[in-house]
Amino acid sequence: MKWFHRHRGLMPYVLLAPGLAWLAVFFIVPLGFLAYQSLQSGNIDFGYAFTWAWGNYGTAFTDYRSEFVRSIEYAGIATLLALALSYPVAYWIAFRGGRWKNLLLLMIVAPFFVTYLIRTLAWETILSDNGLVVRTLQHLHLVSPGGHVLATGTAVVAGITYNFLPFMALPLYVSLEQIDHRLIEAAEDLYASSWKAFLRVTVPLSLPGVVAGTLLTFIPAAGDFINAQLLGAPQNHMIGNVIQSKFLELTDYPAAAAMSFILMGAIIIAVAAYARAVGTEQLSGTAV
Amino acid sequence: MTQSQFTRQELLRRGLAGSALLTVPGLLAACGSGGSKAAVTTTGGKQQMAKTLHFSNWTLYIDVNNKTKAHPSLQEFQQKYGTHVDYVEDINDNASYFGKIQGALSRGQSIDRDIVVLTDNDRYLSLMIKKGWAEKLDKAAIPNIKNLVPVQRHPTFDPNREYSLPWQSGMTGIAYNDKLTTPVLSVTDLLENPKLKGKITCLNSMGDALTLVMLANGDDPSKVTDKSFNAAFTRIKKAVDSKQIRQFTGNDYAPSLAKGDLAAAMSWSGDIAQIGNSHIHWNVPKDGGALWTDNMIIPKGGNVYTASVYMNYVYDPAVMGLMEAGDPKKNITGIYYIPPVIGAKEAALKLNPSVANNQLIFPSAKTLSQVHLFDSNALNNQKYLTQWQNLISA
Amino acid sequence: MSTVAIPARQRTNVAGNVWAFVRHHVLALYAALFFLYLLLPIGVVVVFSFNQPVGKFNYTWHKFTFDNWRYWNGVPGIQGAIVLSLEIAALASLIATGLGTMIALALVRYGFRGRGLTNLLIFLPLSTPEIVMGASLLTLFLNLNFVFGFWTILIAHVMFCISFAVVSVKARLIGFDRHLEEAAMDLGANEWVTFRKVTLPLIAPAILAALLLCFAVSVDDFVVTYFNSGSEVTFPLFVWGAARIGAPPQVNVIGSAIFIIAVGAMLLNVFIQTRRSKGAVAV
Repeated sequence: MKWFHRHRGLMPYVLLAPGLAWLAVFFIVPLGFLAYQSLQSGNIDFGYAFTWAWGNYGTAFTDYRSEFVRSIEYAGIATLLALALSYPVAYWIAFRGGRWKNLLLLMIVAPFFVTYLIRTLAWETILSDNGLVVRTLQHLHLVSPGGHVLATGTAVVAGITYNFLPFMALPLYVSLEQIDHRLIEAAEDLYASSWKAFLRVTVPLSLPGVVAGTLLTFIPAAGDFINAQLLGAPQNHMIGNVIQSKFLELTDYPAAAAMSFILMGAIIIAVAAYARAVGTEQLSGTAV
Repeated sequence: MTQSQFTRQELLRRGLAGSALLTVPGLLAACGSGGSKAAVTTTGGKQQMAKTLHFSNWTLYIDVNNKTKAHPSLQEFQQKYGTHVDYVEDINDNASYFGKIQGALSRGQSIDRDIVVLTDNDRYLSLMIKKGWAEKLDKAAIPNIKNLVPVQRHPTFDPNREYSLPWQSGMTGIAYNDKLTTPVLSVTDLLENPKLKGKITCLNSMGDALTLVMLANGDDPSKVTDKSFNAAFTRIKKAVDSKQIRQFTGNDYAPSLAKGDLAAAMSWSGDIAQIGNSHIHWNVPKDGGALWTDNMIIPKGGNVYTASVYMNYVYDPAVMGLMEAGDPKKNITGIYYIPPVIGAKEAALKLNPSVANNQLIFPSAKTLSQVHLFDSNALNNQKYLTQWQNLISA
Repeated sequence: MSTVAIPARQRTNVAGNVWAFVRHHVLALYAALFFLYLLLPIGVVVVFSFNQPVGKFNYTWHKFTFDNWRYWNGVPGIQGAIVLSLEIAALASLIATGLGTMIALALVRYGFRGRGLTNLLIFLPLSTPEIVMGASLLTLFLNLNFVFGFWTILIAHVMFCISFAVVSVKARLIGFDRHLEEAAMDLGANEWVTFRKVTLPLIAPAILAALLLCFAVSVDDFVVTYFNSGSEVTFPLFVWGAARIGAPPQVNVIGSAIFIIAVGAMLLNVFIQTRRSKGAVAV
């Protein structure tokens, strides 16, 4: 104990060291290797050599621009959908949940416990061409007769939206729950209708949750490849699919590494902008 | 989460019991090179069978008892030799499997497998042999190698069969669902019939897909030129752009065919037999189909003796007959692909006559003349490969 | 002080009340639909776990059977896969929560240089695409000549779980009332005893939440594990392989079982906490 007293200032570093060391070794260093690899050239038959091949980045960007764009598009739509779908529910639980709050939160998280793949495969069953859902959509003329939902961009976006709903709903709930109700009462005392109070008080105060949820949804969605592979056609493939094929099937590691960094770079820029706006404390205080 | 009163005892009882599992030795064990789980090969003297044979294979590629889900041929192997076969069906695509193992192999590490199975119309099989990542077979332990059918004895990638032995062969053709379409018997029909738009799939294997399309174009797939490659590639690309082709698949076309999401699919002969749906028919396309062979090889670090003994066991016509045809009386389903062993047909006849007489499993010379091999040089052409990958995954 | 304002406010209140009533129920209805949508695939999974499929593919309903549940490990490899997944998840969540709690304590309780960097470092894994994390970790392991298998999977899982743990515990620590600790220390307890007897029990719900979250994330992980598992097969990897040819109903059985156990555990937790807060002194 005396040691701690004398070295009080060291305490935070002692606490931080193991965890940060783990992250440094198993997260940062690998990224370093990846960066090194992205500047290599060569192939599987004759080996790879480090040649400062900046061209890999250029090629990656020009060759697969449409996939990059499509990934951002799909992830963006999915995020907006998730936001639109989750906000009312998060609001409802936070404001009207009462003593059932925890139970309801549990019901949002529970599907998350069934393996990601099984859930997506279940969608393959639900959306199959002769299934109830597609036939109903055909009756409603939302799908052309004889048309299919699987192997289209719609199915991919639907899959992504579904799989990331908890990531959006939980941060929304957290920030909505923390809103001091007296502020809303004050607004209503000042003659605001409850709708106006919602727009002018609740929504702005829930913004940190919105931003957190958006980031937590958009980022993994942009890099996803499973939904595209299972539910989409070749035209719907995302940058994740390309990276996967470069890594595993073409064994073109330099190209795959370069592509990964371009993807990460785009994401880091977004995160940096967010951090500048709300401060870095929000970054690690988000989610649950 | 609501506040709660937890006493120290409750906390210990509830959550922290497992922390004792954290061990430093374990982490240290993860470091260091080599350290293969497959038993070390003994050199010279009396050869000993390893306790376990680690065997990676494709899905649905071995005999299986439908009730117990066990594999009779593997059980009998264990009874006869005392070695348990750790059979893992983790290969469903040559490329991704190779991609997973090449990292370790390129660094001289073992992949904890004694036998893996790769296809000859993909570049990875010849690549493994060329790069020295395959162990030489212990031919002294495989006297049954004499039962290998003649046509398989001198393939271009392994002229003296020093590294590989065929597991099964298969044909690539077209399967269709008669409830959803009139018979689809040609590549032209598959790729260009507007009635099939969005209801067909093409294989993601370049060798298979290009063989079929080249034959439909009138070109020879065993001698690929830029011109014939481009002609076939363009034709497939057109079908992709027009959304005729719904997806490129490995053997995952089977669920969609069974579900009725697909009317037809470029597919492998054996899979269709295994779907068990009488409405789904498989044919060699009018212009010709592809013939491919899956080969067993021993990756570097595998136990050569045990693997060789297993291969010898499998090349016994009686064993191959059982694996191939299954045994309906005992509710065993067979592999239903083309076995490379002389005498297997006769053995199968005793167990399951309908299978023994099935053209897909024991094809006649006429059927065999309709299927062709793909040019293995083209399989190693990086330009072709990149173009193909861009088509199927982007 | 005007008398005009009061009737106006009353009128608004009546309309407002009706509107609030309607809106209240609309929201509840919407929430019900939302949960239906959320649980729809799960429902399909559970229902089909009782299906006896015709042929190999469990996509159309054929016959009801308990066989799949009785012979849940009848598919070779499935038992090993789920056991491995559970082992790794348990270990990884323990280690990650331990490390994460320490980091959270440091972040909330102390001032130190490099806060911003630390926050960024915690956030980065959450924001990195899984495929990048998985592939880059693969490269590291290869360069260090690690043997792929249980330990590489575990290391990877701890790595991406730490951030979840930090985030979970930190949220709790921020709202923590330091006065209790000060009171304990005033009464003669040193820091370690205070921590053990006051702090730890009070942040226990957050630690438990972190454990659960890490467990869920780990048991579910596919991409990072795929790259770093060598020839070990975890449950998600097994499902991926099996799905190619038609996942056997046993996959549904295990998926349903995990869901039911998880929900049961959470329900139990909520139930216990409700019981306790009824009779306990709120802090």
